[in-house]
Amino acid sequence: MRRKIFPYLLLIPTYLVIVFFIYAPAFDALYNSFFRVSVFGRRKIFVGFQNYLSLFADKDYLYAVNFTLVYTGVTVVVSIFLSFFLALLLDQKVPGSRIYRTLIFAPYAVSHVVAGALWGFLLNPVVGHVNYLMRIFFGIQTHWLTTTPYAAYSLIFASVWKTLPFNIIFYLAALQSIPTEVLEASIIDGASSWKRVWKIIFPLVSPITFYLVIMSIISATFQSFAIIDVMTKGGPGIYTTNLVYKLFLDGFRFQKIGLASAQNVILFIVMMVITIIYFSYGQRRVHYQ
Amino acid sequence: MRRFWLIVLVVLTVVSFAKVKIQFWHAMGGWRIEVIQNMVNDFMKLNPDIEVEVQYVGSYEEILAKLVAAVQAGTPPHVVQLNEISTQKMIDSGVIVPVQDLIDKDPTFDVGLFLPQVLNYYRVGGKLYSMPWNTSTPLLYYNKTMFKEVGLDPNNPPTTFSELIEACRKLVKKDDKGNIVRTGITWPLYAWFFEQYMALQNQPLVDNNNGRTAKATKVVFNNQAALNFLNFWNTLTKEGLMINTRRADWTAARQLFISQTVGMLISSTSDVALLMNESKKQGFELGTAFLPLPDGTQRGGVVVGGGSLWILKQKKQAEVDAAWKLVKYLAEPGPQIVWHQATGYYPIRVDAIQKLLVQGYYQENPHHLTAILQLLTSVQNYNTQGAIIGAFPEVRNAIDMAVEKMLTGALTPKQALDEAERNANKAIKEYF
Repeated sequence: MRRKIFPYLLLIPTYLVIVFFIYAPAFDALYNSFFRVSVFGRRKIFVGFQNYLSLFADKDYLYAVNFTLVYTGVTVVVSIFLSFFLALLLDQKVPGSRIYRTLIFAPYAVSHVVAGALWGFLLNPVVGHVNYLMRIFFGIQTHWLTTTPYAAYSLIFASVWKTLPFNIIFYLAALQSIPTEVLEASIIDGASSWKRVWKIIFPLVSPITFYLVIMSIISATFQSFAIIDVMTKGGPGIYTTNLVYKLFLDGFRFQKIGLASAQNVILFIVMMVITIIYFSYGQRRVHYQ
Repeated sequence: MRRFWLIVLVVLTVVSFAKVKIQFWHAMGGWRIEVIQNMVNDFMKLNPDIEVEVQYVGSYEEILAKLVAAVQAGTPPHVVQLNEISTQKMIDSGVIVPVQDLIDKDPTFDVGLFLPQVLNYYRVGGKLYSMPWNTSTPLLYYNKTMFKEVGLDPNNPPTTFSELIEACRKLVKKDDKGNIVRTGITWPLYAWFFEQYMALQNQPLVDNNNGRTAKATKVVFNNQAALNFLNFWNTLTKEGLMINTRRADWTAARQLFISQTVGMLISSTSDVALLMNESKKQGFELGTAFLPLPDGTQRGGVVVGGGSLWILKQKKQAEVDAAWKLVKYLAEPGPQIVWHQATGYYPIRVDAIQKLLVQGYYQENPHHLTAILQLLTSVQNYNTQGAIIGAFPEVRNAIDMAVEKMLTGALTPKQALDEAERNANKAIKEYF
């Protein structure tokens, strides 16, 4: 009897933390999403699914869905291919490759806010270095953060720059764990290096690719808040407002708790779907071949 | 000896328990953090039984968000500085102690000495809910040195839109590749300026006399007055005579002016002290003027902006009393003069202005005077009293968004107005 209780006793602290800090707020959000809540939460009216319905009738929200898809899609694809390519280069045994690696990993140590602020400075239309160089070499000036479509380009560029090192680290580790016999065999069989990369190396690192795609989607969708807030504030207009930023605006700028909770629940569902895909397909579909 | 220390310890404990501890949250960053801390330190010297914890909490938006969280957690701060557009929201919140109630009970406090322009803004239904504190209006700043360089009269700044456009055209400088390296003007991309230009043309922003006689039900800005301003903004941008910032990026606008990338700046009077210092450092002469008007319109007036101090309901009456003492102190002539000189925010009291006039302060600091005169010469009516809207942040956001779309070329000024009207009305209707 005692043996059966003891493990549960040990689990209690963990469960307490999870219940208070994860489940309770999550249920609170779910509950609030069916109400209209006044600013300080003193008055509440039950509205059923009205918050959800008005979200999907809201042009701005649908735009944010669309922008999130485009922004996430482009960021993930560019970041995955670029990091795979850079990892291949860094895997070469050239003198000084350790120094290159260190330099390329540096952005990973920078927080999202700082990354956003850095790019904000660099892209400043008047005193930024990017425009200074552009003016000298090409004779053009661009308002990177305040005009369409450059605001989106700048955001995507900064996000890719920020997620790249993480992906490169994982790809490097994967590349180094590929058995050399396989590669040697392909060389002996006369495969070109292009063929070797896409027919042998890329399939061999596919579990890592899958993992990185999932992580990059999460990072670009859910952790992009800081970069957007610091660089464009979702502007110009709603041009760079994604779902997370829209949630922040409604929840913390306009104190529409009900509406923000509904957005929260939607994001929660999206996140759950991604997680389920990862857990159910992660181990089965992708494996060394 | 040991007994002595024990007694000291006991006495200290008793004394520290007798002290009332209150929290004061404000939104004034930069060098102003120290200015406020010093003012509060003086207050604590005068009131040794009160201990004030001063905290700079972030921007006005952040302070409101954090206040909501603190109230819901049951630990509201005692005194909070919030911006002018939070007024209706806080009145509706039910978590504040209206300052009027405290004034009525306190014979030592004479609200009659306050500037009527300021009181008119913060009085809602004849009642003062918060203590007006940091008060400002927009002002035209210009670079006199640059004006001289391009042949403009440095003592005759533009007073109309067409004069201003003309001046901007002269200020533009291009490099040999045809890129604009210096241009005319900037102001932060913020709907506050839109509101000011409605009041300057003596027009209301919302119905029911700007929400003053009954709650506002819709915006009424879709008219020629607003179009005058948006057309002006659009023309300046399209011709490259103006540089636009990100939404509400005051720092960027100031930087453009200080770095002499633009010759003129429309910004808050709260920047007077900062710009006086910076212009000296950069070696150019600063000029200030009233806001220029659309051609052929009559001057209405400016609306006060800035912030006020709110007292939050507390469980202990002693804490509310201490909070009231602090708020009262910060509105006294002494601290008001310190604050005015350090920033450029108006002294909100007649006696403070009188004192400064007698001392000859404004002879040496004419820019502070321009600011005050612009407010004092404003026509006083519902239009210049400023709008009271519960959903004011959303209304501002609706205008900002539409303006941004206009500036990127997606909307014409008229379409932008239509869209701003639609979204603002929706926000007013949804306010709860």
